[in-house]
Amino acid sequence: MPINDVRNTVLAIANKNNYGYISPADFNLYAKQAQLDMFEDYFYQYNNQLVKENLRQSGTGYADISKGLAEVIDTFYVNIPLLNSATTQVGDIQTNLYTLPSNYYLINKMMVYTKELAAGITTSTNGGAVAVNDTTVDFIAAGVQVGDIASTITNGVVYNTVVSSVVSATSLLVFSTSGATVWSSVGKTYNIYSANYIVEAERVAQSKITMLNNSVLTKPNIGYPAYTQNALVAEAYPITINNIGQFTSQYVRYPNPPRWTYAQLLGGEPLFDATQADYQDFELPLSDEPILIAKICQYIGVEIREQAVYDFAKAAIAEDNQ
Amino acid sequence: MAYITDYEYYQNSGTIPTDANWGSYQFLSLADIVNNFMLMYQGNHELINNIDRYQILFHAKRGIQELNYDAMKEIKILQLDITNQLRFVLPPDYVNWVRISQFRDGTLYPLSENIQTNWSSAYLQDNDSNVLFDQNGKALRPQDSELDLNQMSATAKSIYLNSSSPYNNSEGWCVDGNWYFDYAVGARFGLNTETANSNPTFTINKQSGVINFSNILGSSSVVLEYVSDGMAGGIDSEIHLNKLFEEYIYAYVKYSILNTRVGITEYVVNRARKDKSSLLRNAKIRLSNIHPGRLLMNMRGQNKWIK
Repeated sequence: MPINDVRNTVLAIANKNNYGYISPADFNLYAKQAQLDMFEDYFYQYNNQLVKENLRQSGTGYADISKGLAEVIDTFYVNIPLLNSATTQVGDIQTNLYTLPSNYYLINKMMVYTKELAAGITTSTNGGAVAVNDTTVDFIAAGVQVGDIASTITNGVVYNTVVSSVVSATSLLVFSTSGATVWSSVGKTYNIYSANYIVEAERVAQSKITMLNNSVLTKPNIGYPAYTQNALVAEAYPITINNIGQFTSQYVRYPNPPRWTYAQLLGGEPLFDATQADYQDFELPLSDEPILIAKICQYIGVEIREQAVYDFAKAAIAEDNQ
Repeated sequence: MAYITDYEYYQNSGTIPTDANWGSYQFLSLADIVNNFMLMYQGNHELINNIDRYQILFHAKRGIQELNYDAMKEIKILQLDITNQLRFVLPPDYVNWVRISQFRDGTLYPLSENIQTNWSSAYLQDNDSNVLFDQNGKALRPQDSELDLNQMSATAKSIYLNSSSPYNNSEGWCVDGNWYFDYAVGARFGLNTETANSNPTFTINKQSGVINFSNILGSSSVVLEYVSDGMAGGIDSEIHLNKLFEEYIYAYVKYSILNTRVGITEYVVNRARKDKSSLLRNAKIRLSNIHPGRLLMNMRGQNKWIK
């Protein structure tokens, strides 16, 4: 959803009858607030729709509202490997502690690669930034195949790259990673996992994990791993889950804060400039533009102390929720 | 068990052991059970939702255990030489025995259980039969009771049966296949059918985890047929279930969860219970392999003369 369109509409409403003017900074604040509000509302709407479906009050096909909501939520879906504490701390720190992403709203699931095929340190950069070379291992004998996962850390970030070709017993090629040069230096510690052996780790409440670990039948193991969440850290069980790139997170992130940017003034008015580094459109779908504008107008109505603007926005939201 | 090629099946893709996949198609892995259940029987539109996977895992394993106890006929067999104390140590996955036999000279001789105990614990006592204690107040115990020593030395008496012998029905000792008797003086008692057998008898000491034998030839070994709980020594990847029980295990897990959840109406629980019970019956019938060919073979025996 283009942020300039939204701003123009909001200003048009706010300036009607010369109600008032909204600065870009204020608009950005309200835009962020409104987007977050709507984003969180998707989940509640989704739940309400499921309840309606179970009550036979919701249809299928074009009447499948929950499907549309799920599609919107899925646009915020992210899948990344997590960094474990061994890579950030030294000493006898537990290495099954993985740092959670800072921008997550909801962790959907955690995945664990259960079969490590090879591990070591790269010995050359022949082949460039998409080559994994190690003369001390035999990738072919280890069973590395196209599609397997090669993990390493670059600039403090874990990257799980996908093997695109097994060139020789000591050399692999991987698909390049957008926005990062992953395999460009010698001496990189790596782990290679079989893509066919991946299982979901189950989130277990802190109140249950001790009993679960003491349970003969259900103690977490590599086939049925579990994790608990301690602040912004996920603790994996069994504790043998501690390698680079072995633990990945699939989560729904927060939408990026929208930023309406300008570079210069024209006739005293800021001139929209989408080339600024911090420019950011709304990430919500275009179909939500009316309600988003209404929400922003609500905030603006409070700022410029215009009851009419506020009432208009409130009525628009109420109508949309019916 | 995933679908595999013929080469994987017969030769395990050339990997040792090459027979690892033989017969594997008849089984369903625990991973498949849990995965299928989570996928098909729990969710936003199913009877069960918001369930933890470990709960499914628990109920699935419990269901497999129950099936192993009586329905599946998955008999395990272990042959071992007995210890010099005439004991057979129970296998680590032992739950209950089916049959115990003595393997001697190439033949299996089924043994009978002696419900008269041949083992006991004991306390040390003085000449006045007072129990002796240590400084902590615990009763002192001998390593073996007299009953234990009696069993280990194979000195327990038994009834000798041989109508052509003057010692027929006499109490005696069978040691290494030879019988020894007391002088025939004093009262005689009725035949003890549990011990009136030329083969050794056994008693299972569940607390100690051993099978005690009355006597047994040194050169023979013992074959134990037993049932386990199917937990494969705690290795989840090796736990599997016959496919004939697949529908039953889903019904079992579903019932177990519905039966313990808050707010489930009773008729739903009852429906799940009946579902489970009928599927168990179906699976047992299927597993019993009753089919015309087998019945025909049995019916042909009706004309056989019993001499």
